[in-house]
Amino acid sequence: MTQPAVQFADVSASRGGRAVLHHVTVAVSTGQTVALVGRSGSGKTTLLRLVNRLLDPDSGDVLVDGKSTREWDPIALRRRTGYVIQDAGLFPHVTVADNLATVPRLLGWPDSRVTARVDELLSLVGLDPGVFRHRWPDELSGGQRQRAGLARALAADPPLLLMDEPFGALDPITKGELHAEFRRVQRTLQRSVILVTHDMAEACALADQIAVLHDGHLIACDTPANVRDSEDPRVSALLGTP
Amino acid sequence: MNELLAFIASHRAEMATRLSEHVVLVAASTAIAAAIGIPLGVLAARRPSLSRPIVGLANLAQTVPSLALFGFLIPLPFIGGIGTRTALVALTVYAVLPILRSTITGLQGVPPAVVECAVAMGLTPRQVLRQVEWPLALPSIVSGLRVAVVIGVGTATIASAIGAGGLGDYIFRGLAMVDPTVILAGALPAALLALAADAALAAAGHLSDPRRRSRRHVVILAAAGVFVVMVAVAGRTSGGRADLVIGSKNFTEQVVLGELMAQVVEREAGLKVERRLNLGGTAIAHQALLSGGIDLYVEYTGTSLTAIFNEPPSADAEAVFATVRDRYAAVGVTVMPRLGFNNTFAILVRGADAKRLGMTTVSALTANRAWKAGFGYEFLERPDGFKGLSAAYGLTFADAPRVMDLNLIYRALAAGEVDVTAGDATSGLIDALGLTVLEDDRRYFPVYDAAPVARASVLLQYPAAATAIRGLAGRLSAADMRRMNFAVDGEKQDPAVVVRAFLDRIGRF
Repeated sequence: MTQPAVQFADVSASRGGRAVLHHVTVAVSTGQTVALVGRSGSGKTTLLRLVNRLLDPDSGDVLVDGKSTREWDPIALRRRTGYVIQDAGLFPHVTVADNLATVPRLLGWPDSRVTARVDELLSLVGLDPGVFRHRWPDELSGGQRQRAGLARALAADPPLLLMDEPFGALDPITKGELHAEFRRVQRTLQRSVILVTHDMAEACALADQIAVLHDGHLIACDTPANVRDSEDPRVSALLGTP
Repeated sequence: MNELLAFIASHRAEMATRLSEHVVLVAASTAIAAAIGIPLGVLAARRPSLSRPIVGLANLAQTVPSLALFGFLIPLPFIGGIGTRTALVALTVYAVLPILRSTITGLQGVPPAVVECAVAMGLTPRQVLRQVEWPLALPSIVSGLRVAVVIGVGTATIASAIGAGGLGDYIFRGLAMVDPTVILAGALPAALLALAADAALAAAGHLSDPRRRSRRHVVILAAAGVFVVMVAVAGRTSGGRADLVIGSKNFTEQVVLGELMAQVVEREAGLKVERRLNLGGTAIAHQALLSGGIDLYVEYTGTSLTAIFNEPPSADAEAVFATVRDRYAAVGVTVMPRLGFNNTFAILVRGADAKRLGMTTVSALTANRAWKAGFGYEFLERPDGFKGLSAAYGLTFADAPRVMDLNLIYRALAAGEVDVTAGDATSGLIDALGLTVLEDDRRYFPVYDAAPVARASVLLQYPAAATAIRGLAGRLSAADMRRMNFAVDGEKQDPAVVVRAFLDRIGRF
């Protein structure tokens, strides 16, 4: 078996002096999408942030490509790790094209390559470059913003993608469209993805593996089919909520 | 309005200088304050634990009244003294708070999700600040700059009190002369300047909005900047360097005396004189003289003795003059020959009463116990005021003296509300209202002989100026001074015109 893209090894972490993760061990295989599911406060976002060193664990290790995050230069680590959050977090003061161009420019790509890449990405996420290139973020609908956010995260072709409730603020129809879009993109690109969501249906629709967190403990980690059949009442409770 | 236009027309060159001084003061202090306030704001926004003390300190500085702040600064080395430098320090202190606050507000207003994304995308802290936080905070920072500039234009008028010039010169001069036209000549351009500066910064604010950013804006702003600098430079250089700087304190008589010194030196010594009239008081004028901010002003011997050298007051004119001359010599200041009048308290009665009773001295007053007396609050309280007077002359009144406002006392006497009062020996109202000064025959009142005081080194450098001023020794009587004060205060004449007429009359030119 190849080395996992991300490996959480007995990780404990706290926020603001309060322990929120307890001895979590889980692996994300290369090219797979793993959903972290749990209610608010279960520790899923904290687990995600350990990957790109927005946080460091109290104990245990997070290995990215076999190397502990503590040994990664955080800047280099983040530039090869795409990051998408709810409502996209686009920079409001620059155009969509400039948002997408941020990391490629930081990496010193020549302008012609950046421009070509921006158009390629917009097409990839279903936004017409001719229409959206020079739009401002506040001129986009929620779904369009989320598409642009995904495109921005993919800009420098990162092997790893972190997504924190990326579809949380969307209406059901748009959400469905974006799920389809995500599956299409993922079929093409085959990135390693960690997806945080409180929505088990979404996790089942998008993920290869589902890790269920409850009060900072990992209580299940399996394929969608097996998680759906779980007898654990804490897991089935999550299934009940859309 | 016509008077204002006429005043502006006749003071064109001077106004250009004052306006440019004003612009330079505000522009320089705002720039320095931005250089301090913005980095401090960034620091405070980064570390909330530092935020409170930093903002607290800036708040505290803001609450110090501007004149008090100037007062604190005058004795300090390097940043203190008198003139432009001190004014810059004070104005900078006032400008820091709005800039600091708006920087903190602007940075705190950046959505956390946006910053989080920037960090997660691999921007270094410096890149996050430059590419994300700074552009998003800029509109707020620009609004802080606008507040700072508008406050600065207003506060800079007070800089005049410490000899930094600016449009405040007219405001203080107008206040001293009770002449609304002159006040407006300072206040109106200051208000227009504030509006113009605010509009220019608003344009700069649009520039910080990326959607409106265009080359046209850059060009307009650059042109405006160049224009302001040109106005400032033109104003600065058009006058050229003065040989001698003559000052005065901030009341009418002082302004007249300053103008008198200036005209005599200009005409008879052919020197170029810069006027720093309306300095904010004895302490400020004295400091200015010591620090070289001014070279000469007219002081009163009794004021020097008591207020500057902290000696008890004395009525012995020659002894006071000798003491003051020696004390000044020790600090490199020369006391020139006295001009001829004594600006002390004057016991006043109606001219008609004096004539009817043949009354010429204070001693003669003791025969009129039934008279009603009215005095200013200060005169009643001071040991060298009514108490001492009463003891020296055995002077008592049947009724206790009334306390009256100093400004109303002359008219109250003329109108018969009181029969005797104490006024200012050189008040222009004495002659205008037909009052008579009773002679202080027991020489009770301390002496306040007017005498020019000058930096000794400057007199050596320009002996012609010294000769010209010595020529005025003993030529200016209390009656002359009263007439000139009334011409300015009562008849609203320009001090320069009044002084020219006086010099013509005594045959100086």
